[in-house]
Amino acid sequence: MKENNFNIELQQLSVGYEQPGGNPLEILKAINFSATPGEMVALIGSNGIGKSTLLRTLAGFQPWFSGNIQISGRNLKNISSKEVARIMSFVSTENVRVPNLSVFDLVAYGRFPYTNWIGMLSEQDKSVVDEAIKNVGLQGFENRPVMQISDGERQRAMIARALAQDTPVIILDEPTAYLDVSNKYEIFHLLQVLANEKKKTIILSTHDLNIALREVDKLWIATDCGNYQGAPEDAVLQGWLNQLFKNDHVGFDADEGEFFFKKEFKAKVKVEGEGLPLTWTLRALNRKGYQIVMQAECDFLVKAKENSWELISEGNQKTFGSVYQLLAFLEKTS
Amino acid sequence: MKESVPHKKLPAPLIFSLLGILFVLLFVADILLGSIIIPAKEVFHSLFSTSETNETYRTIILSFRFPKALTAIMTGAALSLSGLQMQTVFRNPLAGPYVLGISAGASLGVALFVLGFSSVLAAGVFTTTGAWPLALVAWAGSFLVMLLVLFVSMKVNDIMTILILGILFTSAVSAIVSILQYFSNESMLKAFIVWTMGSLGNVTKAQLSVLAPAILAGILLAFLKIKDLNAFLLGENYARSLGVSIKSSRIIIFLSTSLLAGTITAFCGPIGFIGIAVPHICRVIFKTANHLILVPAVILTGSIVMLFSDIVSQLPGMQTTLPINSVTALIGIPVIIWMIVKNKKFVSVS
Repeated sequence: MKENNFNIELQQLSVGYEQPGGNPLEILKAINFSATPGEMVALIGSNGIGKSTLLRTLAGFQPWFSGNIQISGRNLKNISSKEVARIMSFVSTENVRVPNLSVFDLVAYGRFPYTNWIGMLSEQDKSVVDEAIKNVGLQGFENRPVMQISDGERQRAMIARALAQDTPVIILDEPTAYLDVSNKYEIFHLLQVLANEKKKTIILSTHDLNIALREVDKLWIATDCGNYQGAPEDAVLQGWLNQLFKNDHVGFDADEGEFFFKKEFKAKVKVEGEGLPLTWTLRALNRKGYQIVMQAECDFLVKAKENSWELISEGNQKTFGSVYQLLAFLEKTS
Repeated sequence: MKESVPHKKLPAPLIFSLLGILFVLLFVADILLGSIIIPAKEVFHSLFSTSETNETYRTIILSFRFPKALTAIMTGAALSLSGLQMQTVFRNPLAGPYVLGISAGASLGVALFVLGFSSVLAAGVFTTTGAWPLALVAWAGSFLVMLLVLFVSMKVNDIMTILILGILFTSAVSAIVSILQYFSNESMLKAFIVWTMGSLGNVTKAQLSVLAPAILAGILLAFLKIKDLNAFLLGENYARSLGVSIKSSRIIIFLSTSLLAGTITAFCGPIGFIGIAVPHICRVIFKTANHLILVPAVILTGSIVMLFSDIVSQLPGMQTTLPINSVTALIGIPVIIWMIVKNKKFVSVS
């Protein structure tokens, strides 16, 4: 394992692409982001803000307009593509669908920058590939065709390929898109382990903000009003996350540590109870657009108990066996 | 999640040996069989000794059948290899010298030359030494198309655009050829139509000495790019992130492709379906995506298929021959249909 001492710095960087007419379109301007060895960084921003373009530029796939990308003090422009392949590996959103390609062969692509002109794997290359497969927990899958494994397994195989490339920096474009919730957590966890234990610098873009807030070391935030970087907690405390959405209805609740959807309230409700029944009854009512109040003046009162829910409204009382029944009744009457 | 079955495949060296035996058998059969069936003993004598040979057999073998068999081998190898490279670079299972318009470019060169100047040329242009300038114009035509494709691929990095351009170009060429046919005289028209049917038998020894080095050069370039071809399978982004210099690599692969397909089209006419079908046959029998195996595999399998097509086209024992282009179409198309239906893997190469 090579020691990772690659600092990445984006200085006043402006990225974009050439439009079909030949006019350059600048989409992200004056970016100042950085990442240090062993750090896991999540690039977040709304759809279309230019996350992929920024990552592609950082990986050396496309030129940029102005500013600088410095890798340990060297301008990325002055590093040959062969050398870049030994510094940064890339995992894209593209789904690799190659018939007859086994997981081992896919991961072995990572050895490409190190093999001879005909691509023959040495014994050492093979052991690096095996090690990478082990690190992502895909032992036993070596001979499976990549077309026949699940999306989560394929994403692991792609990450193993990046590991086999043995680069200090790994860039991933939305590695958790298309995955189910448990796979999303597992991939984030895997990447965090790689950052911590193998001291890899991991830079990824994601829309899974709740997971990113808990797992990453640093956020790169791209918004229309400006670009920010810092620990996830800084982002919460500084209110940067609220700028992510152009739409007024979505916001970030700093107390809950979650994003929420702002709604018009239908009625005021007071809830009594304790423990989990209270917590989840509050959530349910909140989801349905009822304003939770503490005071006595409310439209109705709900008493949440272990297995029953009592609704008291204008002197009438009714009992329900589940949250679902309670909500269904409220929907009907209101 | 459905349980997936690990690869069950025969070791590649075994398949190569079996194909090698098949290749030798077909090569010998191709020389023995024809309108006159020659005893094996005579073939041996003609090739390896000067005495005790029947002169008629000797002439047939050395001047016709041997060069024709060599041409068949080179045609099969060249078209299959250029098809494989295109399918990989364009990540499209239907790519081939035909689809990208390279064969059309060669046809345009030939059509302009033959039909455009039909008033000043003799009808024998296709069979006599006049075939030489013909070859050159076909060559120029295919190279021109390749340059056009290259130019467009540098402007727009979109592979689908390039493929669509190839299809449009092919249509434009057939329109121009139709117009030329309308205005040309009968004997030239017939000669041109015969050329479009393809032929392995008109290649003379002198032409073979140009054909062979050109094909070898194309094969050599393909071997040099085996590693990059593998990288292209994952798509351009991944290829680039592995350190492949996309542009220069593409230029070399395109050069190899147009050298292979252009040369064959020039000397043997547009021969279809080999370029598309053979790489798929090889993927099915070798069960691999690795070009280190696929490149030699398509060369060998392409030669075998072409030798077989040639034997069929000669209708052994009969006085007539079938156009080789029809035979390859009749062999190639069922293979493609069979693979679409049976494997469904055909829908994507990558």
